[in-house]
Amino acid sequence: MIDFGRVQKELQECSKDIEASGIKINPVSDNLVHLTGTIPGPIGTPYEGGTFHIDITLPDGYPFEPPKMHFVTKVWHPNISSQSGAICLDILKDQWSPALTLKTALLSVQALLSAPEPDDPQDAVVAQQYLRDYQTFVGTARYWTETFAKASSLGVEEKVQKLVEMGFPDSLVKSTLEAVGGDENMALEKLLSS
Amino acid sequence: MQNKEESGASSEFDDWANFGDDDIMQQQSDIRAEEAHKVPFVADKEPLSALASEYQSGSPILLEKIKILGEQYAAIRRTRGDGNCFFRSFMFSYLEHILESQDKAEVDRIKAKVEECRKTLQSLGYADFTFEDFFALFLEQLESVLQEHESSISHDELIIRSRDQSVSDYVVMFFRFVTSGEIRKRSEFFEPFILGLTNATVEQFCKSSVEPMGEESDHVHITALSDALGVPIRVVYLDRSSCDSGGASINHHDFIPASGDVPNATSVSTETETISPFITLLYRPGHYDILYPK
Repeated sequence: MIDFGRVQKELQECSKDIEASGIKINPVSDNLVHLTGTIPGPIGTPYEGGTFHIDITLPDGYPFEPPKMHFVTKVWHPNISSQSGAICLDILKDQWSPALTLKTALLSVQALLSAPEPDDPQDAVVAQQYLRDYQTFVGTARYWTETFAKASSLGVEEKVQKLVEMGFPDSLVKSTLEAVGGDENMALEKLLSS
Repeated sequence: MQNKEESGASSEFDDWANFGDDDIMQQQSDIRAEEAHKVPFVADKEPLSALASEYQSGSPILLEKIKILGEQYAAIRRTRGDGNCFFRSFMFSYLEHILESQDKAEVDRIKAKVEECRKTLQSLGYADFTFEDFFALFLEQLESVLQEHESSISHDELIIRSRDQSVSDYVVMFFRFVTSGEIRKRSEFFEPFILGLTNATVEQFCKSSVEPMGEESDHVHITALSDALGVPIRVVYLDRSSCDSGGASINHHDFIPASGDVPNATSVSTETETISPFITLLYRPGHYDILYPK
């Protein structure tokens, strides 16, 4: 009963502006019921530089019923369970509308990373820390981003070498790559603009 | 099937430290299913006396008012109280009117309006694929109630379709898009009314109270839908309020589209009295049903 024609269109539409939004959606299974979404951590937040993977399952009633989403990447955030990745967001529950799409939903999740709502928490421990000891919260969230949301160090040497060959100093290349989560293209952009 | 889902949700719940989305969604669909047993999306036509029997041991003011209602109205058709009742009432009432009147000019007129609504949504930045299926399904229903194609349908078939979730929900969503588009397009006009209801911005109001299924309709929604499609709507109010004079009376309000072109109104010169809405809804606090005049 899922409107697969629409899901197809959504995926096409989303892939058109990956460059601008940074949001990716890929099917996991052939039948488009199970998908995976990727959002970049918003700049200026403890999640900056991280790449967050979100598991998406479409219920039978999609698009009348909301997609089921949870974080696969571990994340420290008041509205996201640090254990299960469950997300507390109104548009994924009663405020969902067929006027929304998987992409707009992921954009809302990304916006949630920028603007936590500790008064309506999913993870009470994180929310308490956010309210009582904000600096520790920021530190923990950043540490979790570094540890869980950044590309593995595999192949880093290759990337470093490539960029060094372009004429950038070794140490700057390393720190830049680290800052963008190991993404070669993003690192190059940053190096060129600095 | 149901049991499987439930056990799936509860085992997940054990794993999770927190109450999951799945559990909440499951609960909501259970409530919806329970409600579905009571009234179909659109019920059968009942004589107005059925309304009176509902309040047999209730407020004398209401019984008095229902008696007055009976002077003008013959029947009621109930709709399910799932938050979409205004839109479902409007849908059935409108399509039934076209089926009975075979008013082709009105169909052409509303089709032009629907095209305007499409452009409105596009100009507001909605992606076509988010609304096109809902538009197509409404236009399909509109065509099928005109008796000039092979695909034409009878009154019985209209009732069957109105009770079919895959038709009814799509048409409700079509109306929600149209309503939201109209409110956003004329946000300056609607802003003060919305501020009177909530302290949300126009944008927030549309996102949280218009576009999600199951969100109840208020005079803001009715005004916007009536204006956007150019269809006048009469709402008759039935509540416990009584007049100062002591005698009970029934109030109604006609929502007359803001723009000039109104169906069945060849002379719009003297405004209100010349336009008589062919859609009449009965409003009881929190719910709309369809009324049939004598």
